[in-house]
Amino acid sequence: MSLPIIWWVALLLLAVQLVLWKSRAGTFLWTLVSCFSFWVFLRFGFTVPVPQSVISLYMGIALLAAAAYVTSSRDRLEGFTGPLVRLCTEPARRPLLYAVVLLLPALAAFAVYRQMNVKLEAPAFGRTIHPAPPDSITVHDKALNLTTLDNPYRTLEKSDPPAFASHVANGRRVYYENCFYCHGDALRGDGMYIHGLNPIPTNFADAGAIALLQESFIFWRISKGGPGLPEEGGPWDTAMPAWEKFLTEEEMWDVTLFLYEFSNQRPRAREGVHE
Amino acid sequence: MSARGVLVLLTVLAAGAAPAAAQTEPPPGGALYQKLCSQCHGEKGDGNGIAAPRLMPRPRDFTTGKFKIRHTPSGALPTDDDLRKIIREGMPYTSMPPWPQLSDQQVDELVAAVKSFSPDFANPERKPVPITIPKAPAYSEESAKKGKEVYARIGCPACHGEIGRGDGPSAPGLKDDAGYFIRAADLTKRWTYRGGPTREDIYRTFTTGVNGTPMPSFAESLTDEERWQLVDYIVSLDGREDPGYAELVQVQWTTDDIALEAPDKARELFASAAAAYFPVVGQITEPGRAFHPSANGVTVKAIYNARDIAFLVTWHDMRADVSGHNAPDLPVPPEEDKGEVAADPADEGGGFFGEEEVTEEASADDFFGEEEGTADAGTESEFSDALALQFPATLPTGARKPYFLFGDAQNPVDLWFVDLAKKVATRYKGAGSDSLTLEEGEDVTAVASYDKGEWSVILKRSLRATGGVTFAESQYVPVAFSLWDGAQRERGNKRGLTRWMYLYTMPRETPSPLWPMLRAAFIVLVVEILLIVWVRRRQTPVSPVGQEG
Ligand code: HEC
Ligand code: HEC
Ligand code: HEC
Repeated sequence: MSLPIIWWVALLLLAVQLVLWKSRAGTFLWTLVSCFSFWVFLRFGFTVPVPQSVISLYMGIALLAAAAYVTSSRDRLEGFTGPLVRLCTEPARRPLLYAVVLLLPALAAFAVYRQMNVKLEAPAFGRTIHPAPPDSITVHDKALNLTTLDNPYRTLEKSDPPAFASHVANGRRVYYENCFYCHGDALRGDGMYIHGLNPIPTNFADAGAIALLQESFIFWRISKGGPGLPEEGGPWDTAMPAWEKFLTEEEMWDVTLFLYEFSNQRPRAREGVHE
Repeated sequence: MSARGVLVLLTVLAAGAAPAAAQTEPPPGGALYQKLCSQCHGEKGDGNGIAAPRLMPRPRDFTTGKFKIRHTPSGALPTDDDLRKIIREGMPYTSMPPWPQLSDQQVDELVAAVKSFSPDFANPERKPVPITIPKAPAYSEESAKKGKEVYARIGCPACHGEIGRGDGPSAPGLKDDAGYFIRAADLTKRWTYRGGPTREDIYRTFTTGVNGTPMPSFAESLTDEERWQLVDYIVSLDGREDPGYAELVQVQWTTDDIALEAPDKARELFASAAAAYFPVVGQITEPGRAFHPSANGVTVKAIYNARDIAFLVTWHDMRADVSGHNAPDLPVPPEEDKGEVAADPADEGGGFFGEEEVTEEASADDFFGEEEGTADAGTESEFSDALALQFPATLPTGARKPYFLFGDAQNPVDLWFVDLAKKVATRYKGAGSDSLTLEEGEDVTAVASYDKGEWSVILKRSLRATGGVTFAESQYVPVAFSLWDGAQRERGNKRGLTRWMYLYTMPRETPSPLWPMLRAAFIVLVVEILLIVWVRRRQTPVSPVGQEG
């Protein structure tokens, strides 16, 4: 039950291959079924649907590969064309031939119909979720070099645990006064307002999110928000506020600590710095 | 659940709240409760967590033993299953989140935590006895029609309004038991119900009441048949169980003249245009934040002809605030930005809500007679309701749009603003929230009306105008909406808004798919026949004794 959908589809398609192999299907049937299986895999194998353009791209590649395979030897080519030639010539297959002759134009007409009746959708633009930060920023009139910047309170974790805990507690306060509306009460990017946002915040509880980022990056994003992003980040669409307008520098570092503590993760260390 | 996270938090709590005691005794409610729930419901379960001041409705105070969603009679405690369901599913359109990711065991632990804060749960005399909800008969129009009479007779319109839009005459003055303003539910939006959208949920709500709020229980006053009629009427108010939020509004082509002089006739022009329902959320990105805007959605229809484009924008509002004034650049003082929800909004806002005593135990009869007299009480507000449509000042060529909050310096926006006290449209050029300038000229015209809890505003402009987008056929244009509710003192940055959505001007004529379909079919057919002929030609010499005959 808990297997991801991709495994279910993959297992099903493997079973189909097994049946083909057992029944000694010819090249023709095998090629046809394999191409179709690949499409099924792309179309239904993923929980987040693969865009049509990507499917078309991969199917194009798959068809080319199939063509290369079929034409790679005389036997295979004959194995592939044989059934087609028989379909065209043998009188016993006439009914099937007529059916195919009628079916294909009907399918083509249907495809055109589908194409002309696609549901209108708002244009979508891709954005880079984690664009490269600038080298330096100015926060509350203080110039900060992002390549060398560290969380000034991170070292307290070892040197003064109670002080560290109170910074985390302050970050928690900041978070629940300001952030959870969008980022969610458990930092999962599912706050009460995200149905009105696009893009939506990432899931900080996910192991592949803030653990891959340095604290200076997080600090940059918190202080400068959406408007601080470079063009590829789509600064015009994101609702992420520039918190320098609301919070002190210390509060922004504290909430950074809280993000890591609550989700039980460590920030990525700066290059050349070993803990 | 991460052990390290809990540990740090425990240290945090130990350092912060109760230095001596916390080190030895487990925290109230247990570690899981403290990590996941205490920020709202409070470390002692009293509803006073750090997030609480900015929340509306406020987090539940568990020490009172009053719970909204129950399968038990009015005033009784909820069953464990009720609590489990709330924790799993949350309360939609409030800050109470759903917790689908917890294990059954963790949920049970939290149920125990919630119960531990009120001594009532330990009292055997108060053991909750669930009511039984009889099997729902099938929905019928007939029953819904009868339900409308029940709805009016028993007094629901006093709070919920004549057709359920939450605009009853008593609505502006309602308070919960703790003295906070509480909004009578908009019955036309079932997806916002705290206790679920199904017919059984609705039956349960008015049979058991909503403890701690003015929403009474109608346990005795109705027969079972009448109850299902009432349920069916509420369901018939809006067929949708979920909102079906749109991202795009289709601008319908029309050959009619778009004249606003007769608003009713103007509305009819929109009859065949497709409605798009957009989500509205609070502006909480720029200072002057609206943590809980009044509006939660806006419906938009649009049409165009050879000369003009027009928008019909409708949304639900408890009351038309048509005194005072409003503007997109009115300042909001920083104190208000703290967002603290006042215990008594009437005091804070200078008495603009009608004072009204409605108690939980009030029986249905009490609501008769109250309908008159309260409607106009205290309708003077300092700020009026208002609406703005936002377009890029020039059509974007690529992905680059103006900043969604009133534009930016390089990419300004064109705002069509209607102050509903004046009901005239004005235009602003926006180069950021703090950089709005009023534009000259009367390019945009508007008419507005308020009826049964709903604002309808029609805005019209010619397809091309100086200082704004030129609208043309088959074109995508970004558009965003802002709504201000004067009664909640919304003005300037404090407002409800949508993100950038799109409009699409539909082609004047939709081409028939018939010819392209036939053409495709024909081409395929010809190719097939040619292929077959070719294959047969090549095959015949190999088998000279043709079987084809
Ligand atoms: C109005 C909604 C909103 C609020 C409030 C908000 N954020 Fe965000 N935040 C977003 C959105 C949307 C994104 C994702 C888009 C982006 O990267 O800008 C984001 C992104 C971020 C990122 C970058 C994450 C990444 O993966 O690069 C950080 C860090 C962040 N927010 C922290 C915070 C903190 C801390 C607060 C509170 C002080 C906060 N946010 C409040 C909406 C919000
Ligand atoms: C982000 C804030 C927030 C968090 C976190 C939160 N709640 Fe709530 N909770 C609320 C609010 C607000 C309400 C009241 C909603 C209303 O009255 O409509 C509420 C109501 C409740 C209710 C009352 C339901 C009823 O029928 O009256 C229960 C029970 C509850 N919460 C349990 C929990 C538990 C258990 C957790 C932790 C797993 C939790 N909450 C976490 C905000 C929160
Ligand atoms: C005294 C005012 C008042 C009267 C009369 C009243 N209600 Fe309500 N009702 C409320 C309030 C306030 C709420 C919102 C409760 C909340 O948000 O927790 C509400 C909520 C509701 C809800 C939504 C419950 C949910 O799950 O969120 C329904 C359904 C409802 N009422 C139906 C009715 C019906 C049917 C009647 C008449 C039989 C009625 N109400 C009479 C004040 C009233």
